[in-house]
Amino acid sequence: MAVSTIYSTQALNSTHFLTSSSSSKQVFLYRRQPQTNRRFNTLITCSQETIVIGLAADSGCGKSTFMRRLTSVFGGAAKPPKGGNPDSNTLISDTTTVICLDDYHSLDRYGRKEQKVTALDPRANDFDLMYEQVKALKSGVAVEKPIYNHVTGLLDPPELIQPPKILVIEGLHPMFDERVRDLLDFSIYLDISNEVKFAWKIQRDMAERGHSLESIKASIEARKPDFDAFIDPQKQYADAVIEVLPTQLIPDDNEGKVLRVRLIMKEGVKYFSPVYLFDEGSTISWIPCGRKLTCSYPGIKFNYEPDSYFDHEVSVLEMDGQFDRLDELIYVESHLSNLSTKFYGEVTQQMLKHADFPGSNNGTGLFQTIVGLKIRDLYEQLIANKATARAEAAKA
Amino acid sequence: MTTIGASGLSVATPRVVVLPAVRVSAPVRLNYPWKLGSMNRMVVVKATSEGGISDKVEKSIQEAKETCADDPVSGECVAAWDEVEELSAAASHARDKKKAGGSDPLEEYCNDNPETDECRTYDN
Repeated sequence: MAVSTIYSTQALNSTHFLTSSSSSKQVFLYRRQPQTNRRFNTLITCSQETIVIGLAADSGCGKSTFMRRLTSVFGGAAKPPKGGNPDSNTLISDTTTVICLDDYHSLDRYGRKEQKVTALDPRANDFDLMYEQVKALKSGVAVEKPIYNHVTGLLDPPELIQPPKILVIEGLHPMFDERVRDLLDFSIYLDISNEVKFAWKIQRDMAERGHSLESIKASIEARKPDFDAFIDPQKQYADAVIEVLPTQLIPDDNEGKVLRVRLIMKEGVKYFSPVYLFDEGSTISWIPCGRKLTCSYPGIKFNYEPDSYFDHEVSVLEMDGQFDRLDELIYVESHLSNLSTKFYGEVTQQMLKHADFPGSNNGTGLFQTIVGLKIRDLYEQLIANKATARAEAAKA
Repeated sequence: MTTIGASGLSVATPRVVVLPAVRVSAPVRLNYPWKLGSMNRMVVVKATSEGGISDKVEKSIQEAKETCADDPVSGECVAAWDEVEELSAAASHARDKKKAGGSDPLEEYCNDNPETDECRTYDN
């Protein structure tokens, strides 16, 4: 990848619009700021290294717990851009910018109703625009990104996004398009099993007027074919998959409160070393509750093993059960290896910082935090590598 | 709303039922007329209230049920339920936002601008 390139004005202009495929209802405001354009032109130096992380998740966009944990690991709280559209889906912190891929819908809610497609269908998304803008941000060029307003269901005028150090693209199709996939430095897929999805949606929607058990069920069933056809296959491309399943510790549990979470980590990914328990590459089954640690029902169970996932070598770390107390968490952390923490107890500290987030007492919170630390490690390694490469090139 | 009964002339003005959080605003006038073309839609970019979203969710569920009564596997049915899902997600986000924020506007302002006079704190 070119480390320092100067962009011509022509290329810069190409990031400011994008009305190619849209109907006349969607109009983008043209920002005429010639001075700032020229400033960007000359400011494209080699010092900005942007890494791009892709996160595939069904519902939630930029406001999800995973994003908040991730941005917290890097420091600073991520907030919507100040003074802009209040329904913007973007989150910005000091180091990270989270972009919601729903903003690249080519059809708004009414267009989709007309064409009879769901948001999951690739026909409702503009992958060309997605690819161009992610590429531009990765190379240090600011873009005018459209906004998809989830409340009105329309496409709002675009907002300016500055290239950040870490760019996270979150949505339904981060790994769908091959070109976008190649731009990703790390990708994560959040795989929620059907039972857990049903339980979570019930918790979320039963408070809403008009919703009933049948309507929630019907909604999930109706989306399932499109989901299985377009979203699910992205699993095979992810570097890390977080699978959320119902617990095996409580027979016939259908509340979905206790979860079994599996962190499937691909082997051989550059700058990413999987977390392991006791002995790398072996199969371990571990119940920490016993003499040294007392846990309440249903307790905690860990599993670690090498496996094969879609013809890739992977390592799987699994946690079933819940944390009740702080010392359980620190006990578990002290026995896991390759966590990429900067000091002892960092995982526990991060979990405690967000004790009110959902999943803070089970594997979802734990593995999301660990993935966040792994991404930080990846970022630092990448920067260090680029720095040494540049130093050597300068010497030569 | 009022009837002018004094002079025997009763002019019944249309009763405007104002929903608690609906904001009616005039079309936006621009100082830069060359931008007029791009403001055709005159959408007021304001965050919609929570009541509005809940109503939308309810309406969309009814619509979906009706659409699917005819043909449960058609594209329209699937698209309708997808819309329900999208609106439910938006409603739950709005609820969370309201629970989390919705506090003191001064606190929010001070989080963003801690150095202003109103927000400075002296600990010693």
